[in-house]
Amino acid sequence: MQKVIGETKKAFLTGNEAIAWGCLAAEADMMFGYPITPQNEIMHYWTRLAPKYGKEFLQTEDEISAGFTVCGAIQSGIKAFTATAGPGNVLMQEPFGMAEGMRLPFFAIIQQRGGPSSGTVIYSQQEVSLTCYGGNGEGHRIVYSTATHQELYDYTIKGFNTAWKYRFPTYLLGDGYQAKMREPLEMYEPSERGIDIIKPYPLLGLEGHIGTDREPQHLRNIYSMEEELYDVVLKNDADYNSVRQEITEYSEFNCENAEVIIISHGVVSRAAEDAVKVLRAQGIKAGSFRPITLRPFPREQLLAVLEKSNAKKLLITESALGQLERIVKYEIYGQTLPIETLFMPGVGIIDYDIIQKIKSII
Amino acid sequence: MALIKIALAGEGGQGVQSVAEIIAEAAYNEKKQTIYIPNFGLEQRGGVSIAFIQVSDTRIGAPKFNKADAVLALSERAIARTAAYSDENTLFVYDSSFKINPDELPKKVKHIIGLPAIDTANNELHPRVFNIIIMGAVIGLTNVVKFETAKEALEHKLGYKFESNPELRTLNFKALEIGKELAVKSLREGVFNHA
Repeated sequence: MQKVIGETKKAFLTGNEAIAWGCLAAEADMMFGYPITPQNEIMHYWTRLAPKYGKEFLQTEDEISAGFTVCGAIQSGIKAFTATAGPGNVLMQEPFGMAEGMRLPFFAIIQQRGGPSSGTVIYSQQEVSLTCYGGNGEGHRIVYSTATHQELYDYTIKGFNTAWKYRFPTYLLGDGYQAKMREPLEMYEPSERGIDIIKPYPLLGLEGHIGTDREPQHLRNIYSMEEELYDVVLKNDADYNSVRQEITEYSEFNCENAEVIIISHGVVSRAAEDAVKVLRAQGIKAGSFRPITLRPFPREQLLAVLEKSNAKKLLITESALGQLERIVKYEIYGQTLPIETLFMPGVGIIDYDIIQKIKSII
Repeated sequence: MALIKIALAGEGGQGVQSVAEIIAEAAYNEKKQTIYIPNFGLEQRGGVSIAFIQVSDTRIGAPKFNKADAVLALSERAIARTAAYSDENTLFVYDSSFKINPDELPKKVKHIIGLPAIDTANNELHPRVFNIIIMGAVIGLTNVVKFETAKEALEHKLGYKFESNPELRTLNFKALEIGKELAVKSLREGVFNHA
Protein backbone atom coordinates (compact mmCIF):
# COMPACT_ATOMS: atom_id res chain seq x y z
CA MET A 1 0.00 0.00 0.00
CA GLN A 2 1.33 3.39 -1.06
CA LYS A 3 2.07 5.61 1.94
CA VAL A 4 -0.09 8.71 1.79
CA ILE A 5 1.26 10.81 4.62
CA GLY A 6 4.73 9.34 5.17
CA GLU A 7 6.41 10.98 8.16
CA THR A 8 3.97 12.42 10.68
CA LYS A 9 3.63 16.11 9.92
CA LYS A 10 1.98 19.26 11.14
CA ALA A 11 -0.40 20.96 8.74
CA PHE A 12 -2.51 24.10 8.64
CA LEU A 13 -5.59 23.19 6.64
CA THR A 14 -9.31 23.70 6.27
CA GLY A 15 -11.45 20.98 7.83
CA ASN A 16 -12.61 19.73 4.45
CA GLU A 17 -8.98 19.25 3.38
CA ALA A 18 -8.20 17.40 6.63
CA ILE A 19 -11.12 15.04 5.92
CA ALA A 20 -10.01 14.36 2.34
CA TRP A 21 -6.54 13.45 3.64
CA GLY A 22 -8.16 11.33 6.36
CA CYS A 23 -10.12 9.40 3.71
CA LEU A 24 -6.86 8.68 1.85
CA ALA A 25 -5.13 7.61 5.06
CA ALA A 26 -8.09 5.30 5.76
CA GLU A 27 -7.46 3.67 2.37
CA ALA A 28 -10.83 4.66 0.92
CA ASP A 29 -11.19 3.64 -2.73
CA MET A 30 -13.91 5.83 -4.15
CA MET A 31 -16.11 8.80 -3.41
CA PHE A 32 -19.57 9.30 -4.87
CA GLY A 33 -20.96 12.75 -4.34
CA TYR A 34 -23.12 15.64 -5.32
CA PRO A 35 -22.05 19.23 -4.60
CA ILE A 36 -23.48 21.14 -1.68
CA THR A 37 -21.99 23.83 0.56
CA PRO A 38 -20.28 23.57 3.02
CA GLN A 39 -19.12 20.08 2.03
CA ASN A 40 -17.92 20.86 -1.51
CA GLU A 41 -14.19 21.03 -0.82
CA ILE A 42 -14.12 17.44 0.43
CA MET A 43 -15.06 16.53 -3.14
CA HIS A 44 -12.69 19.10 -4.60
CA TYR A 45 -9.68 17.88 -2.61
CA TRP A 46 -10.58 14.24 -3.13
CA THR A 47 -10.77 14.71 -6.90
CA ARG A 48 -7.45 16.54 -6.81
CA LEU A 49 -5.75 13.84 -4.72
CA ALA A 50 -7.52 10.77 -6.12
CA PRO A 51 -5.64 10.39 -9.44
CA LYS A 52 -2.27 10.54 -7.65
CA TYR A 53 -3.20 7.57 -5.49
CA GLY A 54 -5.20 5.49 -7.96
CA LYS A 55 -8.54 6.42 -6.38
CA GLU A 56 -11.88 7.05 -8.06
CA PHE A 57 -14.63 9.65 -8.00
CA LEU A 58 -18.07 9.86 -9.54
CA GLN A 59 -20.38 12.85 -9.41
CA THR A 60 -23.92 11.51 -9.54
CA GLU A 61 -27.10 13.29 -10.58
CA ASP A 62 -28.23 13.95 -7.01
CA GLU A 63 -27.75 12.89 -3.40
CA ILE A 64 -30.18 9.97 -3.60
CA SER A 65 -28.06 8.52 -6.34
CA ALA A 66 -24.79 9.30 -4.55
CA GLY A 67 -26.03 7.38 -1.52
CA PHE A 68 -27.27 4.38 -3.49
CA THR A 69 -24.10 4.13 -5.58
CA VAL A 70 -22.16 3.96 -2.30
CA CYS A 71 -24.51 1.15 -1.19
CA GLY A 72 -23.78 -0.70 -4.44
CA ALA A 73 -20.03 -0.14 -4.44
CA ILE A 74 -19.73 -1.33 -0.85
CA GLN A 75 -21.49 -4.60 -1.70
CA SER A 76 -18.91 -5.24 -4.40
CA GLY A 77 -16.13 -4.81 -1.82
CA ILE A 78 -15.07 -1.25 -2.54
CA LYS A 79 -14.38 1.11 0.34
CA ALA A 80 -16.70 3.84 -0.91
CA PHE A 81 -17.99 6.93 0.89
CA THR A 82 -19.87 10.17 0.40
CA ALA A 83 -20.24 13.59 2.00
CA THR A 84 -23.21 15.92 2.14
CA ALA A 85 -25.05 18.60 4.10
CA GLY A 86 -28.45 20.10 4.80
CA PRO A 87 -31.05 19.27 2.13
CA GLY A 88 -28.57 16.75 0.72
CA ASN A 89 -28.60 14.94 4.06
CA VAL A 90 -32.41 14.87 3.85
CA LEU A 91 -32.30 13.26 0.39
CA MET A 92 -29.69 10.77 1.49
CA GLN A 93 -31.86 9.35 4.24
CA GLU A 94 -33.32 6.83 1.79
CA PRO A 95 -29.96 5.21 0.94
CA PHE A 96 -28.83 5.64 4.56
CA GLY A 97 -31.91 3.63 5.55
CA MET A 98 -30.95 0.92 3.08
CA ALA A 99 -27.47 0.80 4.60
CA GLU A 100 -29.04 0.50 8.04
CA GLY A 101 -31.45 -2.25 6.96
CA MET A 102 -28.86 -4.25 5.02
CA ARG A 103 -26.07 -3.62 7.54
CA LEU A 104 -23.79 -2.04 4.96
CA PRO A 105 -20.48 -0.51 6.11
CA PHE A 106 -21.46 2.95 4.91
CA PHE A 107 -19.32 5.91 6.00
CA ALA A 108 -20.54 9.46 5.31
CA ILE A 109 -19.40 12.91 6.31
CA ILE A 110 -22.09 15.46 7.16
CA GLN A 111 -21.15 19.15 7.34
CA GLN A 112 -24.18 20.74 8.97
CA ARG A 113 -25.61 23.97 7.56
CA GLY A 114 -28.59 26.04 8.66
CA GLY A 115 -32.13 24.73 8.21
CA PRO A 116 -34.95 24.01 7.59
CA SER A 117 -34.75 23.63 3.81
CA SER A 118 -31.85 25.45 2.16
CA GLY A 119 -31.59 27.55 5.34
CA THR A 120 -28.09 28.97 5.25
CA VAL A 121 -24.95 27.61 3.62
CA ILE A 122 -22.98 28.53 6.72
CA TYR A 123 -23.30 26.59 9.97
CA SER A 124 -25.62 24.91 12.46
CA GLN A 125 -26.08 21.85 14.63
CA GLN A 126 -29.55 21.20 13.24
CA GLU A 127 -28.82 17.88 11.56
CA VAL A 128 -28.48 15.94 14.81
CA SER A 129 -31.96 14.37 14.77
CA LEU A 130 -31.70 13.63 11.05
CA THR A 131 -28.26 12.05 11.23
CA CYS A 132 -28.95 10.06 14.40
CA TYR A 133 -32.53 9.00 13.75
CA GLY A 134 -33.38 9.87 10.13
CA GLY A 135 -35.03 7.43 7.75
CA ASN A 136 -37.81 4.96 8.46
CA GLY A 137 -35.72 2.85 10.80
CA GLU A 138 -34.64 2.71 14.43
CA GLY A 139 -31.45 4.79 14.43
CA HIS A 140 -29.03 1.87 14.31
CA ARG A 141 -26.27 4.24 13.37
CA ILE A 142 -22.99 5.47 14.79
CA VAL A 143 -22.51 9.24 14.86
CA TYR A 144 -19.23 10.94 15.82
CA SER A 145 -19.58 14.67 16.55
CA THR A 146 -16.14 16.26 16.12
CA ALA A 147 -14.81 19.52 17.58
CA THR A 148 -11.33 20.09 16.15
CA HIS A 149 -9.44 19.55 12.91
CA GLN A 150 -7.39 16.88 14.65
CA GLU A 151 -10.61 15.03 15.37
CA LEU A 152 -11.82 15.47 11.78
CA TYR A 153 -8.71 13.59 10.67
CA ASP A 154 -8.74 11.05 13.51
CA TYR A 155 -12.45 10.22 13.29
CA THR A 156 -12.45 9.98 9.51
CA ILE A 157 -9.90 7.18 9.87
CA LYS A 158 -11.78 5.69 12.81
CA GLY A 159 -15.18 6.11 11.12
CA PHE A 160 -14.28 3.87 8.18
CA ASN A 161 -12.98 1.22 10.56
CA THR A 162 -16.09 1.43 12.74
CA ALA A 163 -18.36 1.04 9.71
CA TRP A 164 -16.44 -1.96 8.32
CA LYS A 165 -16.04 -3.60 11.71
CA TYR A 166 -19.58 -3.33 13.06
CA ARG A 167 -21.47 -2.87 9.81
CA PHE A 168 -23.70 -0.05 10.97
CA PRO A 169 -23.80 3.16 8.92
CA THR A 170 -21.27 5.52 10.48
CA TYR A 171 -21.20 9.31 10.28
CA LEU A 172 -18.72 12.03 10.94
CA LEU A 173 -20.96 14.92 11.97
CA GLY A 174 -19.14 18.20 11.40
CA ASP A 175 -20.44 21.63 10.51
CA GLY A 176 -19.75 24.57 8.22
CA TYR A 177 -17.32 26.19 10.67
CA GLN A 178 -15.23 23.06 10.95
CA ALA A 179 -15.46 22.60 7.18
CA LYS A 180 -14.21 26.05 6.26
CA MET A 181 -11.92 27.22 9.02
CA ARG A 182 -8.17 26.72 9.05
CA GLU A 183 -6.53 25.26 12.13
CA PRO A 184 -3.36 23.28 12.81
CA LEU A 185 -3.45 19.49 13.06
CA GLU A 186 -1.08 16.56 12.88
CA MET A 187 -1.43 14.08 10.03
CA TYR A 188 0.00 10.59 10.37
CA GLU A 189 0.00 7.15 8.84
CA PRO A 190 -2.54 5.09 10.84
CA SER A 191 0.06 2.30 11.18
CA GLU A 192 2.37 4.74 13.01
CA ARG A 193 -0.28 4.98 15.74
CA GLY A 194 -0.92 1.27 15.88
CA ILE A 195 -4.19 1.61 13.96
CA ASP A 196 -4.95 -1.34 11.68
CA ILE A 197 -7.01 -0.27 8.70
CA ILE A 198 -9.78 -2.79 8.10
CA LYS A 199 -9.65 -3.99 4.51
CA PRO A 200 -12.90 -3.90 2.55
CA TYR A 201 -14.46 -7.22 1.57
CA PRO A 202 -17.17 -8.08 -0.94
CA LEU A 203 -20.63 -8.83 0.40
CA LEU A 204 -21.90 -10.32 -2.86
CA GLY A 205 -20.49 -12.59 -5.59
CA LEU A 206 -18.43 -14.58 -3.11
CA GLU A 207 -16.29 -17.58 -3.97
CA GLY A 208 -17.60 -21.10 -3.55
CA HIS A 209 -20.79 -23.04 -4.12
CA ILE A 210 -23.78 -22.06 -2.02
CA GLY A 211 -24.91 -24.92 0.18
CA THR A 212 -21.69 -26.91 -0.01
CA ASP A 213 -18.87 -24.35 0.34
CA ARG A 214 -20.68 -21.55 2.12
CA GLU A 215 -23.97 -20.24 3.44
CA PRO A 216 -25.96 -17.99 1.10
CA GLN A 217 -25.24 -14.30 1.52
CA HIS A 218 -28.73 -12.98 1.93
CA LEU A 219 -28.73 -9.17 1.92
CA ARG A 220 -32.27 -7.83 1.85
CA ASN A 221 -33.98 -4.51 2.20
CA ILE A 222 -37.51 -5.89 1.84
CA TYR A 223 -39.37 -8.75 3.47
CA SER A 224 -42.67 -10.34 2.56
CA MET A 225 -43.65 -11.27 6.11
CA GLU A 226 -44.15 -8.98 9.08
CA GLU A 227 -42.46 -11.51 11.35
CA GLU A 228 -39.36 -11.72 9.19
CA LEU A 229 -38.81 -7.96 9.42
CA TYR A 230 -39.55 -8.04 13.14
CA ASP A 231 -36.82 -10.65 13.70
CA VAL A 232 -34.31 -8.68 11.63
CA VAL A 233 -34.95 -5.39 13.41
CA LEU A 234 -34.68 -7.06 16.81
CA LYS A 235 -31.47 -8.82 15.80
CA ASN A 236 -30.00 -5.54 14.57
CA ASP A 237 -31.00 -3.91 17.82
CA ALA A 238 -29.43 -6.70 19.87
CA ASP A 239 -26.24 -6.42 17.80
CA TYR A 240 -26.22 -2.65 18.27
CA ASN A 241 -26.69 -2.92 22.02
CA SER A 242 -24.02 -5.59 22.33
CA VAL A 243 -21.36 -3.26 20.87
CA ARG A 244 -22.74 0.01 22.23
CA GLN A 245 -20.31 0.29 25.14
CA GLU A 246 -17.19 -0.34 23.11
CA ILE A 247 -18.18 2.30 20.53
CA THR A 248 -19.34 5.01 22.93
CA GLU A 249 -17.00 7.97 23.44
CA TYR A 250 -17.24 11.14 25.50
CA SER A 251 -15.07 13.70 27.19
CA GLU A 252 -15.50 15.62 30.42
CA PHE A 253 -13.80 18.71 31.74
CA ASN A 254 -13.71 19.83 35.38
CA CYS A 255 -16.87 17.92 36.30
CA GLU A 256 -15.64 16.83 39.72
CA ASN A 257 -17.29 18.99 42.38
CA ALA A 258 -18.99 21.00 39.60
CA GLU A 259 -22.26 22.63 40.65
CA VAL A 260 -23.39 23.30 37.14
CA ILE A 261 -22.56 21.03 34.22
CA ILE A 262 -22.70 22.23 30.63
CA ILE A 263 -23.67 19.60 28.08
CA SER A 264 -22.77 20.39 24.48
CA HIS A 265 -21.37 18.61 21.45
CA GLY A 266 -19.17 19.33 18.46
CA VAL A 267 -17.61 22.72 17.95
CA VAL A 268 -19.78 24.26 20.71
CA SER A 269 -17.96 22.14 23.30
CA ARG A 270 -14.85 24.25 22.65
CA ALA A 271 -16.75 27.32 23.82
CA ALA A 272 -18.12 25.33 26.76
CA GLU A 273 -14.62 24.37 27.93
CA ASP A 274 -13.43 27.96 27.61
CA ALA A 275 -16.47 29.11 29.58
CA VAL A 276 -15.64 26.59 32.33
CA LYS A 277 -12.10 27.98 32.58
CA VAL A 278 -13.35 31.57 32.92
CA LEU A 279 -16.11 30.64 35.37
CA ARG A 280 -13.73 28.58 37.52
CA ALA A 281 -11.32 31.51 37.65
CA GLN A 282 -14.22 33.59 38.99
CA GLY A 283 -15.03 31.00 41.66
CA ILE A 284 -18.03 29.47 39.91
CA LYS A 285 -17.83 25.68 39.94
CA ALA A 286 -18.70 24.71 36.39
CA GLY A 287 -17.88 21.60 34.39
CA SER A 288 -18.38 20.43 30.84
CA PHE A 289 -19.60 17.10 29.46
CA ARG A 290 -19.39 16.33 25.79
CA PRO A 291 -20.80 13.27 24.03
CA ILE A 292 -18.39 12.46 21.17
CA THR A 293 -20.71 9.71 19.96
CA LEU A 294 -24.24 11.13 19.76
CA ARG A 295 -25.28 7.60 18.72
CA PRO A 296 -24.73 5.54 20.76
CA PHE A 297 -25.08 8.18 23.47
CA PRO A 298 -22.76 7.91 26.52
CA ARG A 299 -25.69 7.47 28.91
CA GLU A 300 -23.96 5.54 31.70
CA GLN A 301 -20.95 7.84 31.49
CA LEU A 302 -23.08 10.96 31.84
CA LEU A 303 -24.97 9.45 34.77
CA ALA A 304 -21.65 8.57 36.43
CA VAL A 305 -20.41 12.13 35.95
CA LEU A 306 -23.58 13.54 37.48
CA GLU A 307 -23.17 11.13 40.36
CA LYS A 308 -19.59 12.11 41.20
CA SER A 309 -20.18 15.84 40.69
CA ASN A 310 -22.06 18.14 42.94
CA ALA A 311 -24.36 19.23 40.13
CA LYS A 312 -27.41 21.24 41.05
CA LYS A 313 -28.19 22.26 37.49
CA LEU A 314 -27.52 21.24 33.92
CA LEU A 315 -27.15 23.62 31.03
CA ILE A 316 -27.69 22.14 27.58
CA THR A 317 -26.40 24.38 24.82
CA GLU A 318 -26.40 23.85 21.06
CA SER A 319 -26.72 25.66 17.73
CA ALA A 320 -30.17 24.12 17.31
CA LEU A 321 -33.52 24.42 19.07
CA GLY A 322 -33.32 21.39 21.34
CA GLN A 323 -32.14 18.48 19.18
CA LEU A 324 -29.37 17.52 21.63
CA GLU A 325 -31.65 18.38 24.54
CA ARG A 326 -34.27 15.84 23.43
CA ILE A 327 -31.61 13.11 23.27
CA VAL A 328 -30.14 14.00 26.67
CA LYS A 329 -33.55 14.11 28.37
CA TYR A 330 -34.46 10.73 26.92
CA GLU A 331 -31.14 9.17 27.86
CA ILE A 332 -31.09 10.36 31.48
CA TYR A 333 -34.80 9.82 32.11
CA GLY A 334 -35.47 9.69 35.84
CA GLN A 335 -32.94 12.34 36.84
CA THR A 336 -34.57 15.26 38.60
CA LEU A 337 -31.88 17.89 38.14
CA PRO A 338 -33.26 21.14 36.75
CA ILE A 339 -32.25 21.58 33.09
CA GLU A 340 -31.59 25.03 31.67
CA THR A 341 -31.02 25.61 27.95
CA LEU A 342 -29.15 27.96 25.65
CA PHE A 343 -30.35 27.33 22.11
CA MET A 344 -28.98 29.36 19.20
CA PRO A 345 -30.26 27.58 16.07
CA GLY A 346 -28.00 28.16 13.08
CA VAL A 347 -25.74 30.56 14.96
CA GLY A 348 -22.31 30.04 16.51
CA ILE A 349 -22.03 29.95 20.31
CA ILE A 350 -19.02 31.48 22.03
CA ASP A 351 -17.79 31.26 25.63
CA TYR A 352 -19.22 34.71 26.38
CA ASP A 353 -22.77 33.50 25.60
CA ILE A 354 -22.39 30.51 27.90
CA ILE A 355 -20.79 32.52 30.72
CA GLN A 356 -23.63 35.06 30.67
CA LYS A 357 -26.22 32.28 30.67
CA ILE A 358 -24.61 30.44 33.59
CA LYS A 359 -24.44 33.64 35.62
CA SER A 360 -28.12 34.23 35.00
CA ILE A 361 -29.17 30.80 36.25
CA ILE A 362 -27.05 30.26 39.37
CA MET B 1 0.95 36.29 23.86
CA ALA B 2 -2.69 36.71 24.79
CA LEU B 3 -5.45 35.91 22.34
CA ILE B 4 -5.62 38.44 19.47
CA LYS B 5 -8.89 38.71 17.53
CA ILE B 6 -9.08 40.48 14.19
CA ALA B 7 -11.99 41.04 11.81
CA LEU B 8 -11.30 42.16 8.25
CA ALA B 9 -14.25 43.20 6.12
CA GLY B 10 -14.58 44.44 2.58
CA GLU B 11 -16.10 43.88 -0.81
CA GLY B 12 -15.66 40.67 -2.77
CA GLY B 13 -12.51 41.00 -4.88
CA GLN B 14 -10.70 43.35 -2.49
CA GLY B 15 -8.59 40.47 -1.32
CA VAL B 16 -9.82 40.42 2.28
CA GLN B 17 -9.81 36.64 2.55
CA SER B 18 -6.41 36.29 0.85
CA VAL B 19 -4.83 38.69 3.32
CA ALA B 20 -6.46 36.94 6.27
CA GLU B 21 -5.20 33.61 5.01
CA ILE B 22 -1.62 34.91 4.67
CA ILE B 23 -1.68 36.41 8.18
CA ALA B 24 -3.03 33.13 9.59
CA GLU B 25 -0.38 31.18 7.69
CA ALA B 26 2.33 33.46 9.09
CA ALA B 27 1.04 32.97 12.64
CA TYR B 28 0.96 29.21 12.12
CA ASN B 29 4.58 29.37 10.87
CA GLU B 30 5.47 31.13 14.12
CA LYS B 31 4.11 28.00 15.87
CA LYS B 32 1.17 29.88 17.32
CA GLN B 33 -2.34 28.54 17.70
CA THR B 34 -4.36 30.04 14.88
CA ILE B 35 -7.89 29.92 13.55
CA TYR B 36 -8.99 31.65 10.40
CA ILE B 37 -12.58 31.41 9.23
CA PRO B 38 -14.10 33.26 6.29
CA ASN B 39 -17.74 34.07 6.30
CA PHE B 40 -19.01 32.31 3.26
CA GLY B 41 -22.67 33.07 3.05
CA LEU B 42 -24.37 34.56 0.04
CA GLU B 43 -22.01 37.55 0.47
CA GLN B 44 -19.88 35.82 -2.13
CA ARG B 45 -22.52 36.84 -4.61
CA GLY B 46 -22.26 40.57 -3.99
CA GLY B 47 -22.04 41.54 -0.35
CA VAL B 48 -19.61 42.33 2.42
CA SER B 49 -17.00 39.64 2.94
CA ILE B 50 -15.64 39.18 6.48
CA ALA B 51 -12.61 37.23 7.66
CA PHE B 52 -12.21 36.25 11.32
CA ILE B 53 -8.68 35.61 12.56
CA GLN B 54 -7.62 34.48 16.03
CA VAL B 55 -4.03 33.97 17.16
CA SER B 56 -2.84 32.80 20.56
CA ASP B 57 -0.13 30.87 22.38
CA THR B 58 -2.73 28.53 23.85
CA ARG B 59 -5.55 26.48 22.37
CA ILE B 60 -8.32 28.61 20.87
CA GLY B 61 -11.96 27.84 21.60
CA ALA B 62 -14.86 28.90 19.40
CA PRO B 63 -14.01 29.76 15.78
CA LYS B 64 -15.87 33.07 15.86
CA PHE B 65 -15.94 35.88 18.42
CA ASN B 66 -18.23 38.74 19.30
CA LYS B 67 -15.70 41.56 19.87
CA ALA B 68 -12.42 42.04 18.04
CA ASP B 69 -9.18 43.71 19.11
CA ALA B 70 -8.95 45.21 15.65
CA VAL B 71 -11.66 45.71 13.04
CA LEU B 72 -10.64 46.86 9.57
CA ALA B 73 -13.55 48.01 7.43
CA LEU B 74 -12.33 48.26 3.86
CA SER B 75 -15.46 49.56 2.21
CA GLU B 76 -18.16 52.01 3.19
CA ARG B 77 -20.74 49.24 3.54
CA ALA B 78 -18.33 47.22 5.65
CA ILE B 79 -18.41 49.87 8.39
CA ALA B 80 -22.03 49.21 9.31
CA ARG B 81 -21.58 45.48 8.85
CA THR B 82 -18.67 45.27 11.32
CA ALA B 83 -19.70 47.82 13.93
CA ALA B 84 -21.17 44.96 15.98
CA TYR B 85 -17.70 43.42 16.41
CA SER B 86 -16.38 46.52 18.20
CA ASP B 87 -16.35 47.56 21.82
CA GLU B 88 -14.26 49.82 24.07
CA ASN B 89 -11.16 47.65 23.52
CA THR B 90 -11.33 47.71 19.73
CA LEU B 91 -9.15 49.57 17.26
CA PHE B 92 -11.62 50.40 14.50
CA VAL B 93 -9.92 51.16 11.18
CA TYR B 94 -11.50 52.48 8.01
CA ASP B 95 -10.15 54.17 4.92
CA SER B 96 -9.94 57.91 5.27
CA SER B 97 -11.13 58.41 1.68
CA PHE B 98 -14.61 57.09 2.48
CA LYS B 99 -17.30 59.70 2.13
CA ILE B 100 -19.29 58.85 5.19
CA ASN B 101 -21.33 60.58 7.80
CA PRO B 102 -19.54 60.58 11.22
CA ASP B 103 -22.70 59.04 12.72
CA GLU B 104 -22.03 55.91 10.73
CA LEU B 105 -18.84 55.16 12.68
CA PRO B 106 -19.14 53.11 15.86
CA LYS B 107 -19.10 55.25 19.00
CA LYS B 108 -17.72 53.20 21.87
CA VAL B 109 -14.37 51.96 20.62
CA LYS B 110 -10.80 52.37 21.88
CA HIS B 111 -9.72 54.33 18.82
CA ILE B 112 -11.15 55.11 15.44
CA ILE B 113 -8.37 55.29 12.90
CA GLY B 114 -8.72 56.61 9.38
CA LEU B 115 -5.90 55.27 7.20
CA PRO B 116 -5.20 56.62 3.69
CA ALA B 117 -4.68 53.13 2.28
CA ILE B 118 -6.67 53.54 -0.93
CA ASP B 119 -4.98 56.87 -1.81
CA THR B 120 -1.54 55.49 -0.97
CA ALA B 121 -2.13 52.43 -3.13
CA ASN B 122 -3.46 54.47 -6.05
CA ASN B 123 -0.95 57.33 -5.91
CA GLU B 124 2.28 55.78 -4.63
CA LEU B 125 2.08 52.08 -5.46
CA HIS B 126 -0.57 50.26 -7.44
CA PRO B 127 -4.31 49.77 -6.76
CA ARG B 128 -3.71 46.01 -6.68
CA VAL B 129 -1.66 46.16 -3.49
CA PHE B 130 -4.33 47.92 -1.45
CA ASN B 131 -4.98 44.70 0.47
CA ILE B 132 -1.27 44.27 1.22
CA ILE B 133 -1.15 47.78 2.72
CA ILE B 134 -4.02 46.67 4.90
CA MET B 135 -2.11 43.52 5.83
CA GLY B 136 0.82 45.70 6.89
CA ALA B 137 -1.56 47.88 8.89
CA VAL B 138 -2.91 44.83 10.74
CA ILE B 139 0.64 43.95 11.78
CA GLY B 140 1.42 47.55 12.76
CA LEU B 141 -1.71 47.78 14.89
CA THR B 142 -1.66 44.39 16.60
CA ASN B 143 1.83 42.83 16.24
CA VAL B 144 -0.08 39.65 15.57
CA VAL B 145 2.91 38.30 13.61
CA LYS B 146 6.48 39.45 13.05
CA PHE B 147 7.07 41.56 9.96
CA GLU B 148 9.62 39.08 8.62
CA THR B 149 7.26 36.12 9.03
CA ALA B 150 4.58 38.08 7.21
CA LYS B 151 6.99 38.67 4.32
CA GLU B 152 7.84 34.98 4.18
CA ALA B 153 4.15 34.01 4.16
CA LEU B 154 3.54 36.55 1.40
CA GLU B 155 6.42 35.08 -0.58
CA HIS B 156 5.01 31.59 -0.02
CA LYS B 157 1.60 32.63 -1.27
CA LEU B 158 2.62 34.82 -4.21
CA GLY B 159 6.10 33.49 -4.98
CA TYR B 160 4.96 31.89 -8.23
CA LYS B 161 3.84 35.33 -9.46
CA PHE B 162 7.01 37.00 -8.20
CA GLU B 163 9.12 34.53 -10.18
CA SER B 164 7.82 35.78 -13.50
CA ASN B 165 7.70 39.41 -12.40
CA PRO B 166 10.22 40.31 -9.67
CA GLU B 167 8.94 43.89 -9.58
CA LEU B 168 5.76 42.55 -8.04
CA ARG B 169 7.78 41.29 -5.09
CA THR B 170 9.29 44.74 -4.49
CA LEU B 171 5.87 46.33 -4.87
CA ASN B 172 4.18 43.95 -2.43
CA PHE B 173 6.91 44.17 0.20
CA LYS B 174 6.87 47.94 -0.08
CA ALA B 175 3.09 47.97 0.35
CA LEU B 176 3.44 45.77 3.43
CA GLU B 177 6.01 48.13 4.92
CA ILE B 178 4.06 51.29 4.12
CA GLY B 179 0.90 49.76 5.62
CA LYS B 180 2.76 48.92 8.80
CA GLU B 181 4.28 52.39 9.02
CA LEU B 182 0.95 54.12 8.46
CA ALA B 183 -0.54 52.13 11.33
CA VAL B 184 2.40 52.58 13.70
CA LYS B 185 2.46 56.29 12.96
CA SER B 186 -1.22 56.75 13.69
CA LEU B 187 -0.87 54.85 16.98
CA ARG B 188 2.30 56.73 18.02
CA GLU B 189 1.07 60.18 17.16
CA GLY B 190 -2.42 59.51 18.36
CA VAL B 191 -3.73 61.01 15.15
CA PHE B 192 -7.08 59.41 15.42
CA ASN B 193 -9.77 60.55 13.13
CA HIS B 194 -12.68 60.95 15.46
CA ALA B 195 -14.55 62.42 12.51
